[in-house]
Amino acid sequence: MSEIVEPAVPGLFVADEHGARVLGSKCEACGTPYFPKVPVCHNPACPGSRMEPCGFGGRGVVWSYSVANFAPPAPHKYDKPFRPYAIGVVDLASGLRLVGQIVDPPEAVTVGAAVELVIEPLYHEGGKTFTTWKFKLV
Amino acid sequence: MQEVAVLGVGLHRFGKSGDAIVGNKSVTELCRHAVDMALSDAGISWRQVQAVAAASSRFSGGKGWGLNGNDVVEDLGSTGVPVYNLSAGCAAGGNAFNVGYSLVAGGVHDLVLVVGGEVMPKGMIQTSGTEEVTDPEFLRQRCVGMPGPAFWATLARRRMHEFGTTEEQMAKVTVKARQCSVGNPFARFQKAVSLEEVMNSPYVSNPLRLFEICPVSNGAAATILCSAQKARQFTGKPVWVASSAVATLGFDDTLPRNLAGPVPNGPSFHTEVMTAVRKAFERAGVGPRELSFVEMQDNTCYYELAYPEEWGLCEPGEAQYLLEAGETLPTGRMPINPSGGFVSFGEATTAMGVFQIVEATWQLRGQSGGRQVPGAKLGLAQTNGLGGNATAAILKR
Ligand SMILES: [Zn+2]
Repeated sequence: MSEIVEPAVPGLFVADEHGARVLGSKCEACGTPYFPKVPVCHNPACPGSRMEPCGFGGRGVVWSYSVANFAPPAPHKYDKPFRPYAIGVVDLASGLRLVGQIVDPPEAVTVGAAVELVIEPLYHEGGKTFTTWKFKLV
Repeated sequence: MQEVAVLGVGLHRFGKSGDAIVGNKSVTELCRHAVDMALSDAGISWRQVQAVAAASSRFSGGKGWGLNGNDVVEDLGSTGVPVYNLSAGCAAGGNAFNVGYSLVAGGVHDLVLVVGGEVMPKGMIQTSGTEEVTDPEFLRQRCVGMPGPAFWATLARRRMHEFGTTEEQMAKVTVKARQCSVGNPFARFQKAVSLEEVMNSPYVSNPLRLFEICPVSNGAAATILCSAQKARQFTGKPVWVASSAVATLGFDDTLPRNLAGPVPNGPSFHTEVMTAVRKAFERAGVGPRELSFVEMQDNTCYYELAYPEEWGLCEPGEAQYLLEAGETLPTGRMPINPSGGFVSFGEATTAMGVFQIVEATWQLRGQSGGRQVPGAKLGLAQTNGLGGNATAAILKR
């Protein structure tokens, strides 16, 4: 059975020979990273916005996390029956503090744990698998 | 700048749609009750009010455009007064208070009504209803799936890591809050809860439990602000507004409010709230440790521990021990939310900033009954809301 895999929202992330990355931008003038992309730098102290596309992936550390003990309302989509999951706030070594689900069971997650960015299924609908960025304990 | 007095205050008891308290009352009815009470408390008639600053609601009334002040004016009698409708998420009531204060302080008007009221939909507050990929809130919900309290739960978990705060200590905040609301005739919940009851309530977003997160409520609050000169015609001992400040988020704010931001070099704080509170202290010429009490936005018990530390009322990591020693009770040395707070009232979102002024005024007049802070002289009221809005006001007698 061949599976059709699509991103939950197109253009936000990619997984290729360079690994999994979310596709944001970075201001070349002041170094501020953004995800999703922004057209101009939001830093009031920036000498002059110079935005360039930038991917963020690799490893990071869990700054903190919470658990979704109940299914969030729409527009969230999930496979039923709902299973609680951890939501991590991860400080990536590449300079971005990023929010995302953690694929491991919530009981296994701790503040300070090392994780890496992955692209994983989020939900199934109409015979397709929809993916998003998540974190995985390493 | 003129001195500004709080001449009158009014409140409709908070409740839940369909219950014995608010039943099916419309937001206009709730507001009318609060405004009538404030007018009679001030000893003035509706026709003496020169301007209205109202909190804009996205949930109830306001003709769907947040014109809640216009609803109040139509209902009480169209006198042609100027109306300012202020939108700032959950900080709208605080924002309306600031505009009312500024109108009087700036000498534009002598008598201004500040009002906020809500009839809330059931369940968690939804931040966004749109399905647009350019909306960061849509992306957060579709790609991650964050229940409303996830932001607070993340901060609470971080606090547990940094300061060793336990789930039991957080539950004790709720026990204390409900202890304060016992006998408060305006609170939605007027019964005490035990530590066991709080700890046995289910996780909504681990580590936060159902009893540790404020529900939504219906309610209304009103206050009449008055210039010093005029106030002396009405009362010999008014409550004074020592300062009123509004602020928004700083670029250096690194709390996980959106999908992503830069990794910070140091700790993360609520910058909008810190700025508003600091400005309020500066303008009032007082320090955080001079306060008799604080009415703060406790959407969850986490904030009763975090905010006093962020504002310098106590040392970082100290709040949980002050709580356990009873120091955050009305009789303690750092009273927090003597009213019972959002956890005991529920959140009637845009009414909250005005509700806090009402309680602070009663405290400073010595009219707070069983929850009275003995000898209260100086109180801080604080709100924050979606969009990075925050307000702070200091009242004194
Ligand atoms: Zn820049």
